Amino acid sequence: MSSFGRLATFLLQNGFLVVLAAVFAFFAIFTNTFLASGNLIDMLHAMSPLMTISAGLALVVMAGKLDISVGSVAFVAASVGTLLMTRLGCPPLLALAAALSAGALLGALNGFIVVVLGVNPLITTLGTMIAFRGVGLQLTNAQVERLPEGVRELGNWSVGPFFGDTLIALAIVLAVDLLHRRTIFGRQLTAIGNGEDVARRIGMPVDRLVFVAFVLSGALAAVGGVLDTLQIGAISAYLGKGLEFNAVAVIVVGGVSLFGGRGRILSSVVLGALMFELIRNGLNHLGANPYAYRLVSGAVIFAAMYADALKSRVRRAAVGAPAPGEA
Amino acid sequence: MTEAAYLSMQGLSKAYPGVVALRAANLEVRRGEAVALMGANGAGKSTLMNVLGGVTAPDAGSITIDGSPVRLRTARDALAHGIAFVHQELAMLPSMTVAENVFADGFPTRFGIVDGATMRRDAAELLVRLGCNLPTDLAVETLGPGDRQMVEIARALRRAPRIVIFDEPTSSLTNNEKRRLFEIVQGLKRDGVAIIYITHFVDEIFEICDRVTVMRSGSTVATRAIAETSPTEIVRLMLGEADSGERLADEASSAGPLLLEVSGLCGGILRDIDFSLRAGEIVGLWGLLGSGRTELMRALIGLDPIDAGALRWRAADELRPVTPNELHQIAGIVTEDRRGEGLLLPLSTRANLSLASLRSLLTPLGLIDRNKEEGLAADLIGRLHIMVSGSAQAVGTLSGGNQQKVVVGRWLATEPRLFLLDEPTRGLDVGAKSEILKLTAALARAGAAVLVISSEPEELMRICDRYLVMSRGRLTAQMPGSATRAELLSAVSATPLRMSAA
Amino acid sequence: MGASVGQAESRRAGRWSGVDAKLGVTAALLLVILVVLLVLAPSFFRPNNLVNVLVQTSSLGLMAVGMAPVMIAGGIDLSSPANMALGAVLGAMFMQAGGNPVVGCLIMVVAATLVGLLNGVAVALLGMIPFVVTLATMTVATGAAVWLTHSVSVSGFPDSFYDVLLARLGGIPVSVYVLIAAVIILGAAMNGTPFGRYLYAIGINPRAARVARVPVRAATCASYAVSGLMAGLTAVLLSARLGSASANMGNDGVVLDVVSACVVGGVSIYGGSGYVTGAALGALVITLLSNNLNLLGVSYYLNLMTKGVVIIGFVALDGLRRRAS
Repeated sequence: MSSFGRLATFLLQNGFLVVLAAVFAFFAIFTNTFLASGNLIDMLHAMSPLMTISAGLALVVMAGKLDISVGSVAFVAASVGTLLMTRLGCPPLLALAAALSAGALLGALNGFIVVVLGVNPLITTLGTMIAFRGVGLQLTNAQVERLPEGVRELGNWSVGPFFGDTLIALAIVLAVDLLHRRTIFGRQLTAIGNGEDVARRIGMPVDRLVFVAFVLSGALAAVGGVLDTLQIGAISAYLGKGLEFNAVAVIVVGGVSLFGGRGRILSSVVLGALMFELIRNGLNHLGANPYAYRLVSGAVIFAAMYADALKSRVRRAAVGAPAPGEA
Repeated sequence: MTEAAYLSMQGLSKAYPGVVALRAANLEVRRGEAVALMGANGAGKSTLMNVLGGVTAPDAGSITIDGSPVRLRTARDALAHGIAFVHQELAMLPSMTVAENVFADGFPTRFGIVDGATMRRDAAELLVRLGCNLPTDLAVETLGPGDRQMVEIARALRRAPRIVIFDEPTSSLTNNEKRRLFEIVQGLKRDGVAIIYITHFVDEIFEICDRVTVMRSGSTVATRAIAETSPTEIVRLMLGEADSGERLADEASSAGPLLLEVSGLCGGILRDIDFSLRAGEIVGLWGLLGSGRTELMRALIGLDPIDAGALRWRAADELRPVTPNELHQIAGIVTEDRRGEGLLLPLSTRANLSLASLRSLLTPLGLIDRNKEEGLAADLIGRLHIMVSGSAQAVGTLSGGNQQKVVVGRWLATEPRLFLLDEPTRGLDVGAKSEILKLTAALARAGAAVLVISSEPEELMRICDRYLVMSRGRLTAQMPGSATRAELLSAVSATPLRMSAA
Repeated sequence: MGASVGQAESRRAGRWSGVDAKLGVTAALLLVILVVLLVLAPSFFRPNNLVNVLVQTSSLGLMAVGMAPVMIAGGIDLSSPANMALGAVLGAMFMQAGGNPVVGCLIMVVAATLVGLLNGVAVALLGMIPFVVTLATMTVATGAAVWLTHSVSVSGFPDSFYDVLLARLGGIPVSVYVLIAAVIILGAAMNGTPFGRYLYAIGINPRAARVARVPVRAATCASYAVSGLMAGLTAVLLSARLGSASANMGNDGVVLDVVSACVVGGVSIYGGSGYVTGAALGALVITLLSNNLNLLGVSYYLNLMTKGVVIIGFVALDGLRRRAS
């Protein structure tokens, strides 16, 4: 292979890390405040809800499907929990349980539509994304609802130098990663992502597995919504808006393929979320136009998806298999 | 009479609407013996194996294993009775490791977690026993087809099956890998496993099989001990004693000018293909399944990539270099799979017929001229005697023969000078077959060069001016139009000869 | 020799194929809604209101009509409303700075078409998944629009802009004529040109299309460009109607409406079937649903839920029908 070819292959496989390092270096050099340790802690804190939601989404993507309703699920679940506390005076733990159940239930609804009704997951979650947001808006009447006093303080809970929710999020991502790599469930999901027909031929209960993946995605989206609400201290109609896209971006940029079946969840989610948080935080410190973030992150996502598609084509060409849509 | 059969399938019948797949078929295998199961496409081998695998329920017949009758209703039943398949189409999970693929249908666990260490160790053991030293944490996608097959075999053997079926195992293997596979089969025989070996390569079965069962048209036509038969006899049994129909094409008296010249074509399984085609001649591409005939046609028009080789096509009175994509724009191709790759089933007959000719049916404004289109459709329907109630009839509702005529018709409309036909009469009744063959002859009379693939030598003999014989991706012989059926059969049953001069 | 019974039946089946049946369902749905309105809110049928409804339908309809070819070829374009917003914003900013309104309109159309082309290249040449690519484009386009405008809507169009675009001919506004023209032209293109046939073929069976010498990549790419073009036209008309352009013109509620309009109009998400006319009718249905749920006192939020259910329902039915056949 020519040296150019070798460079290209290296970039394709590890380009992400290179870019991450470059971005970090860029902001470290060009701002004063970026490198302060407090800032790094803050970044991890801000990343926590996104990491949690991305972990759940990663399971669904690993099985070769997609769930773009996670932002709306986060919103509904967090609304349910919050309203139970503020309107009905529920104790926080019960409200938390309700929020998680709500998320799981909505995930189950997604799973039902995909597996039982056989509707394409893209359309399903596009529809539920809008429908669920409607539900949430109806519940909260699009008003901001502040968390009760005692609960609101939880948002600042820290363990040592780190924020509590950072540790929770990391623990969750670790748990999901272990689920993916070391349990039969995780291995079978990966198998489905490799080839649903092959998985069926081997005898795996594909429908059941996909359903459970959606339930987990919903439950973890709920957790993410809860964490986000705790950080802000209130529920607002904008919670989770666009979050689904950020979660997809995190996963793709981090290396989990949208075609399914490959990637490491722990490194993808953490590094992917870090990438976007770096950009956001760095642009902030640079005093840049706040809207630049969307543009820059959009460009990063596009590049990552292109790399994903390119890698997929290279793989398929090596085997001689047709592209999706060609056969 | 030697020992009783370990597996005995008797009198199995299965009919689908319109097709009888199995007609009282039989198969017996003893412990420690390898029985070759042979038969042409559609002979019933797959259906019989589906019955054995619990995928298809037979209408009649019985299966006995080790003396007791069994009912195989599901794939699990088959597994439970010690039946394992190594399919032609490997069920691989590309991004996952060798160990994971071997244990994909039963991951070992410890306290609820997948036990990676045990998995890797046991997989390595299984592979070593197969004579394979693959590191078990390699991703399967990095392996070649031979190694992947080892993984598939390891998966099949994991449960210590008593009956193993190999389905076309050697199509993509190198010689060394084939040796390795044969040793595995011998090893299994020594362990007392009953083996069914399905292949189209007649020479192979003489190396590792003890008996051969030949199927044709859904029944078992013969069972022979390998030592008591010959490749020619087997091929004859497979293809039957059909009468050749009448000759349908005039001998190309003096073939026209050279239209296509292929040199050194390599790609996929194809190796060093050299041949040429003249205007007005019909050349039969003859060989058994897996010989690369379809691959050759697809490579010629760029549906599959080629690694090396030169194509030249006659333009303005001389042969000029041409790419496969350019050839695609000149040639008409009737693929093997008319429903999957030939027709757009929900569209009308008219739309299917005109699809490749749309650019010549336009009004000055660039819209499709409906009258011209209807005219084209009506003309083709009439010329080819396509039985439709109107050109608007959806092509998916036509009979197989008429569907095939639509595919041919589509290309006829483009007046191609090169016609590639891959199994054009497959699945058609006798009358339709004759009609398609006559059409093919007419194409050549009109000056095109025609290349035809068929698995029925009688068919080829009705229209071909000469034959190109393929085996395992190479052109192994050229035979004149005067070749007899026996000569054609022996050309494919012997081990590959060097190509003789035409 | 007379055709056999079977053949006659197949001919009937061929004529009243699934798509015509689906157009029938859409028309029936439309009828039901109109009847309900007649009974519950007869004021709907005042000429003034009818015209308003048509005008509202025209923007959704133009985008749906542009999306239909993409879906027919088996793809999807989620970025259409975002492209529209971006184009609108760019052209508006140009005009606000004193630029010629004709050039301003041209900028709107060209910008959106270019983004469409970008989608087309990504899907057809780079082999990316349409859903995700257009989702990404949607975000980038919205982000760019937000950035350029700082989330403030842009106005200050010259009078000539409004004079032409808000004019009425025979009492019917220009935008409705534009929609009708688009339906006719694109409809003719899809039914009567090779390009249209190619798109149907690709949507039905891309492998067979390729063997039949259909220029799959070029046609697919072009379909996305068409979608962009329609988004650009929508940008022009909608900016005129609203009197301003903003990044919010293309929020994700609009995307769902566009896809719903196509799906309800009989354009299958799986490709290969549906008519441009159906997409326009579907847009009418969706507009009526949106407006009139309001009229009937249904909250906006319930509205959202209904839309989600509608789109999932239609696609589920489509899938069930496909599996049955």
